Amino acid sequence: MAEVEETLKRIQSQKGVQGIIIVNSEGIPVKSTLDNQSTVQYSALIHQLVMKARSTLRDIDPQNDLTFLRVRSKKNEIMIAPDKDYFLIVIQNPSA
Amino acid sequence: MADVEETLKRIEGHKGVIGTIIVNSEGLPIRTTLDNSTTSLYARLLRSFTTLARSAVRDVDPQNDLTFVRIRSKKQEILVAPENNYLLVVIQNPSE
Repeated sequence: MAEVEETLKRIQSQKGVQGIIIVNSEGIPVKSTLDNQSTVQYSALIHQLVMKARSTLRDIDPQNDLTFLRVRSKKNEIMIAPDKDYFLIVIQNPSA
Repeated sequence: MADVEETLKRIEGHKGVIGTIIVNSEGLPIRTTLDNSTTSLYARLLRSFTTLARSAVRDVDPQNDLTFVRIRSKKQEILVAPENNYLLVVIQNPSE
């Protein structure tokens, strides 16, 4: 658990990082550096997006699987690292 | 048009690039370096995914918009650059 905390601290202290959310396999946020409302909103939307990315890849090749997802927009970049039971979401300002 | 050709050639000549597809606003692939069935599959799936990614971005902030998507998997990386309802899709081998 201390390792997780360390890693989160390290990511959080990177220049430009606006927020970090850890979501479990049911789409429920278990940890976040953002306010409740943003956390819930991002978690739900990104959970949907990750499911879609996974099924997109599996439709192309059932043996393949998602290892990372980056959604860049005008105002920020959302990076998602999926794992078996969780996914890690980091929102950053790419120009910072 | 020559500019477009140049750019595409540059991308296609990049080490690790497996294929490029341009999808028009109606979801039809208008240019591709892959075979027909692979192209149609990617065009359909990625158009659907990009639409979801874009609405996720807009749901968080209606002033914001999607500029780029990177879907990384074990076997390849799919890059999607949406513009004016068109999509530029590049599939590359992530390790090169």
